[in-house]
Amino acid sequence: MSYLADIFLIALSAALINNFVLYYFVGICPFVGVSKRVEMALGMGFAVTFVMTIAAFLCWIITTFILMPGAPLSKWIAGFFVPANVAAGIDLTILSYIVYIFAIASSVQFVEMYVRKFFPALYRSFGVFLPLITTNCAILFACLTIMSKIVGVDNPADAWDLGRSLTLAIFGGVGFTIAIVIMGGIREDLELCDIPKPFQGVAITLIVGGILAMAFMGFTGVDVGLRNAIMPL
Amino acid sequence: MNIVTILISAGTLLGLAVIFSYILGWASNAFKIEIDPRAEAALEVLPGANCGGCGYVGCGAYAAAVAAEKAAVNLCSVGGPNCAAELAAIMGVEVGETFPLRAVVHCGANTEDRLQRNEYRGEQKCFTANLVNGIQGCVYGCLGFGDCVEACNYDAIQVLDGLATVDYQNCIGCGMCAKACPRNIITIIPFKKESILVVPCSNHDAGKLVKSVCNVGCIGCKACTKVSKIFSVIDNLAVIDYDKYLEADSEELAKAAEKCPVKMLTFLKTRIK
Repeated sequence: MSYLADIFLIALSAALINNFVLYYFVGICPFVGVSKRVEMALGMGFAVTFVMTIAAFLCWIITTFILMPGAPLSKWIAGFFVPANVAAGIDLTILSYIVYIFAIASSVQFVEMYVRKFFPALYRSFGVFLPLITTNCAILFACLTIMSKIVGVDNPADAWDLGRSLTLAIFGGVGFTIAIVIMGGIREDLELCDIPKPFQGVAITLIVGGILAMAFMGFTGVDVGLRNAIMPL
Repeated sequence: MNIVTILISAGTLLGLAVIFSYILGWASNAFKIEIDPRAEAALEVLPGANCGGCGYVGCGAYAAAVAAEKAAVNLCSVGGPNCAAELAAIMGVEVGETFPLRAVVHCGANTEDRLQRNEYRGEQKCFTANLVNGIQGCVYGCLGFGDCVEACNYDAIQVLDGLATVDYQNCIGCGMCAKACPRNIITIIPFKKESILVVPCSNHDAGKLVKSVCNVGCIGCKACTKVSKIFSVIDNLAVIDYDKYLEADSEELAKAAEKCPVKMLTFLKTRIK
């Protein structure tokens, strides 16, 4: 029960309370750039969710088996070259940024080729967004969050498993979709408004984003309250 | 930071690079898409103007449609007959005879020819002026604010003396002006001869009403229909059937133009590539 509750809280937190865009302010470039129409925003949101899930999957595997201190795969390979006590202490987390970017870029390329071959209709609708997401900071942020939950913990039993990581990624993507679709809806209506000249364009978009972020601040503390209610100490 | 850490880090990156590049290399082969080489060749031949005159989104879409044998090879008005011939050679089909398509303004009234009623002080666009009644007598003719000029990407249409006038040196027949005109008085016509007869009027009113608002409007007298069978009068307006245009010889057409009581039938000349 506690595992399910944990998953539920991670999902709620990623989607609403600690929304990637409106709480952490990552992924602002597509949030401002591709939010002019609701259907475009929806396409971008789906693409981000999709890529984020794949990236989180890869990130969890790479972190657990290669990067973290005492990771089994790197320990085993290093065991051939260096003494066992040195091999057990190898910490490759300094490589996390470059390896994650590497994994994200490769997986996006792979997914693009796959979708183009087998789902041409899908490719036409969100294929243009896929290369844009390669360098999206929200994806890297999800990977780094997952890494911090695996590497930084004191008790190895508390390290996040694959299920928690994927939950964070999927619902982080859902939160991104919610934010960008709300933004798209607001911007469609904004076109009919008489905006003062200095505020037109990106300026008003950033102001609206800020107000939206303040509105989402209303969720702050809900996760702590829920956690206390579900799992009393 | 000792040498072992550096070597292991480098080795890890190298190993991951090899794995990812191997997967991507395999994927690019396994998921290869067969692109019809004829589509690429067709795209090379097309002018790349992306004007949309053929009815497709751009040259790429038209090339794909041609390669898929969904579209005829002679739809590109920019490339003209040469382009159609090259496309036909790529596709291995016979090309029918093609004529350059050009825009024709079906109004011939300059400012002094038409009845001006009230001054219009709204936004200087045909689109908005068309919503207001009583600017000029003729509710069919050119308004002269130049929405078509704005729509033209080829600098081929100007408003001269209150009338939109096509410059046939530049016109390629993409049809953007025809879409922009709120009164729909611009049509795209195949120029089957170097000099082609057109009806520069769109007024469907009866002759007396036309006379009261315009000096050069078609009064629907049917004089031209008696000379040549390519003419017909539909709803008080002379219409030329361009499908039959080549059946009429030029003398017959000149005679028809001569017979017209308001002398409004006009020969237009284009540059045929």
